[in-house]
Amino acid sequence: MISTALYKREMKRSIKLLLIFCTVLTMYIAIIISMYKPELAKMLDKYVELMPELMASFGMTGDATTLTGFMCSYLYGFILLIIPMLFSIIRGNGLIAGYVDKGSMVSLLSAPLKRRTVVLTQMAVLISGILLLNLYITAVELFFAEYDYPDQLHIGHLLSLNTGLLFLHLFIGSICFTASCVFSDTKYSVGAGAGIPVLMYILKMLANMGDKADNIKYLTFFTLFNPDGIVDGELKAVIGIIVLLTGAVILFTSSVVVFCRKDLNI
Amino acid sequence: MLMGMITVDGLTRDYGSGKGIFAVSFSVEKGETFGFLGPNGAGKTTTIRHLMGFLKPVSGKCEINALDCWKDRDKIQAQLGYIPGEISFFEEMTGTEYLQFMEQYRRLGTESRKEELLDFFQLDPGVKLKKMSKGMKQKIALVVAMMHDPAILIFDEPTSGLDPLMQNKFIDFINAEKKRGKTILLSSHMFEEVERTCDRIGIIRNGRLAEVNPVQELRNRHVRPYTVTLETEALAKAFAEDFHGQRNGRKVTVTAKQSLEDIFMHYYGDESLDQHSTV
Repeated sequence: MISTALYKREMKRSIKLLLIFCTVLTMYIAIIISMYKPELAKMLDKYVELMPELMASFGMTGDATTLTGFMCSYLYGFILLIIPMLFSIIRGNGLIAGYVDKGSMVSLLSAPLKRRTVVLTQMAVLISGILLLNLYITAVELFFAEYDYPDQLHIGHLLSLNTGLLFLHLFIGSICFTASCVFSDTKYSVGAGAGIPVLMYILKMLANMGDKADNIKYLTFFTLFNPDGIVDGELKAVIGIIVLLTGAVILFTSSVVVFCRKDLNI
Repeated sequence: MLMGMITVDGLTRDYGSGKGIFAVSFSVEKGETFGFLGPNGAGKTTTIRHLMGFLKPVSGKCEINALDCWKDRDKIQAQLGYIPGEISFFEEMTGTEYLQFMEQYRRLGTESRKEELLDFFQLDPGVKLKKMSKGMKQKIALVVAMMHDPAILIFDEPTSGLDPLMQNKFIDFINAEKKRGKTILLSSHMFEEVERTCDRIGIIRNGRLAEVNPVQELRNRHVRPYTVTLETEALAKAFAEDFHGQRNGRKVTVTAKQSLEDIFMHYYGDESLDQHSTV
């Protein structure tokens, strides 16, 4: 189904990026969690009072009374959305469109492998990267939460939260990957693969800012990922992440079909 | 009814404004070397992309070894060696790493001809591909195309970027492979390499196959014999020797052969006029 040689090569290329992103995530998560001390949390909440719109645009609404609630507010609105999204944008584009644009796709297709094998391998590489990032995020969160505040983190909540996060990032990854399969020119592949998720994120920021802009939330898929709702076990929030996962499956499947049927001027 | 190892039948792809290929048909028999001759932009690469299964025929069809070039492309690739017209590797790798990757990717074991080919082309692949000269890249592409010892070879302008010495070496190589029974499609705009390697030549122009001829026939077509009478027999003897003529007494018959290049000009000579009229 997939080519081991190609998978290995591509994972090697992902590792560098993953290492950089994991470093950033570690520092950020460690700092945010350490701030859950009442006095520091008060400081953050003061920021929220001072500039509610700006803080809210990053999903930081304050009033976090539990550690999980605090993390939902200060981690799941910005950094945990942006970093894996960047990974998907960069790798998604490089895995297919990059090869087609440069012409080196010839090397991969002038061999006795089905196009399906090639595209499934590249997809597996992207999904592996997203999975690794999410596992790492979970591990780092667990570590620092347990280290700083033993027994205060509800592990079940964290796991369902991160399952939701994974589905969201699989969906973002599937957008980037589909763009990469549809467009042969990296200009357009990046345009769509980066443009759509970034635009959606900006809409989410706008929607978070105020009452009047609240309806914008219906225009962005980020609304389907509702951290507080997931922690509270709301049905709507669960349906949201299932929709995201379904979307990812549909887009990933279409990308395979598109690539297998596509004319390649290479 | 399609016959032959490589068959192209009525292949058409219209890119608009006269670009593309139009009803191209030809076949290459098993063990034959076929020269695909034409200027840049004539449609050679477009035809080859169809053969490689990169492009789906809009109309017409092409087969290799009785397999459909689009549907069975992976099966065809198992027995095919390809050198693309524009070479683009994984630039961040060294030649050695790239060759090793391609061996694993193709799942070649000990049957790989890599070492033999590296020796033949005197290539040291331990350099970053990014830093290689065009000639070196061309050699790497050749090794990749040949290391699985394919029965069918499709080379798209393989000697561009090689110096004359390497071009000769390459022509020797093609001829040796030909003796081993390979079916070869060689696209080129260099008359000499085609003349020295191919059995038949297809001439393509503006997307249309103008003519398919045995090389010998093309060569003979423009042969003109001249008989001259010299003043003395000694002079006739010297003349015959200098001009490779047939001497009969004081008469010497010499033949002027047009080079393939001249024949080529015969087909494409008014190309510039065409372009002016369409602009």
